[in-house]
Amino acid sequence: MRTYWVAYQIALQETLQRRSTLIMDRLGGFAVVVSLYAFWTALIGDKASFLGYTRPEMLTYVLALNILRSFVFTGRGWQLVGEISSGKISSYLVRPLSYHGYALALDFAQKTVHVAASIVEVSLLAFLVQGDLFLPSDPATWFLFAVSVLLSSLLFFFLEFAISTFAFWTSESGGPLFCFELFLQFAAGAFFPLDVLPLALRKALEATPFPYMVYFPVRIFLEKVTPLEALRVIGTEALWLVAVFAVAMTIWRRGVASYSAEGG
Amino acid sequence: MKAVLHKYWRIWLRTASMAMQAQLTYRLGSFGFLLGKMIRLLFFFAFMAAVFNHVETVAGYNLVETALFFMTFNLVDMTAQIFFRGVYGARRTVTEGDFDFYLVQPCAPLFRMTCSSVDFLDIVTIVPVIVMTGMVFARLPVLPWENYAAYALLMLNGVALIYAIHVLVAALAVRTQELESAIWIYRDVMFMGKFPVDVYAPAVRWALTVGIPIAVMTTFPAKALLGRLSPAWIAYAFAITAVAVPASWLFWKDSVARYTSSSS
Repeated sequence: MRTYWVAYQIALQETLQRRSTLIMDRLGGFAVVVSLYAFWTALIGDKASFLGYTRPEMLTYVLALNILRSFVFTGRGWQLVGEISSGKISSYLVRPLSYHGYALALDFAQKTVHVAASIVEVSLLAFLVQGDLFLPSDPATWFLFAVSVLLSSLLFFFLEFAISTFAFWTSESGGPLFCFELFLQFAAGAFFPLDVLPLALRKALEATPFPYMVYFPVRIFLEKVTPLEALRVIGTEALWLVAVFAVAMTIWRRGVASYSAEGG
Repeated sequence: MKAVLHKYWRIWLRTASMAMQAQLTYRLGSFGFLLGKMIRLLFFFAFMAAVFNHVETVAGYNLVETALFFMTFNLVDMTAQIFFRGVYGARRTVTEGDFDFYLVQPCAPLFRMTCSSVDFLDIVTIVPVIVMTGMVFARLPVLPWENYAAYALLMLNGVALIYAIHVLVAALAVRTQELESAIWIYRDVMFMGKFPVDVYAPAVRWALTVGIPIAVMTTFPAKALLGRLSPAWIAYAFAITAVAVPASWLFWKDSVARYTSSSS
């Protein structure tokens, strides 16, 4: 465990060392949040609510998106594709550590910095727009939300990992990964609440793991679901995680078995 | 002059052909990237259509008008991506020493840096965008020809303005060998151009019109077509481009003059 803790600390320092890149990344993300907020504000207009979301709830949804994007959508897929394609993965395979554990440690270091930055951004935006935020009064909601988000993050990590692992067989796995990430952003509710979609399409998406990464966690936070329903959501999320983890590990084991490298 | 244009046309055609061949070599990867781009386009379109099932107008624009803004954004943005794609690899071109070769070739280094890397997938993607824009146009009422002329000219003006930004980013790469995120900030900020600038608060609207003129690139053409842009703003749009393009060239020349080679 100490190995992964050290990896986490080093990755944290590396992320903080590249401050200009970090600031620019955050500026770009902030622009997306501002646009989404402006669009939803225009949609609500003078109405008391839109699609069942009041103005504070919608503002909270958009701001929560910024934090969730920073915590959930920061996997190591592209790095894995690069490391397999370049052969750098060989140096990890011969080390006495789990590649997944190592990648998770690096991923959490990145998440730590980005979540901290996103909280500052969200506070700034909330201050600038002077809008009321929806904050749950029940401590249980905060706990359920935290559990749900943690599971979301792991779900994304292993889903992305499973797709990236195809790089063991083809040098072209970047394309499917790009496609998956774009589809995921919409299907997870990372651009808009899925309530806007026609019922049939929403139900179809709810049968996939994607809405469990953003849409359902935010609904838990906004107390749009009862505590019992929240537990059911978390249970389903955990089942998806187990299934995706099993698939990712199976593909990984087969990929490593088929992998060969030459040279130093 | 004719001979020079012919030479650059041949260079562009040759590099575009090479890029296409390279992308066709990686069929699965290219298909994934292409599918991802289509998914992004279709999902946003579906989202807008779904939103207008619940509201009549957004910021005073109906569904067809909002779709016009979105399609105009895509046309301008994708045209720029097709022609100025090279800037995305500007930092790598400099740090790996390829820029040194550009400097000794009988071709303007700025042209090589910005225009000689063509993304064939964007050329494929722009076809459905043009078709969808045609469908939007068919649903608009008949408008005076001056509006269409202003639309076309302001679109070209928008592409020229985006060119100036790309030259600026390329110059920064030559000057600093860093700031690889600069082009991605531009991409993220461009996200704000997906919606008509009228949805934003006055301060943001001002920033997007005067500070980083995203509105001039994406919103102005559609507003001119709908007859909602005053002649003064049209004049402003051309004036800002008339200043930005030469200024970006000057900055580029100054950056190249300071360049001392960063390769071995």
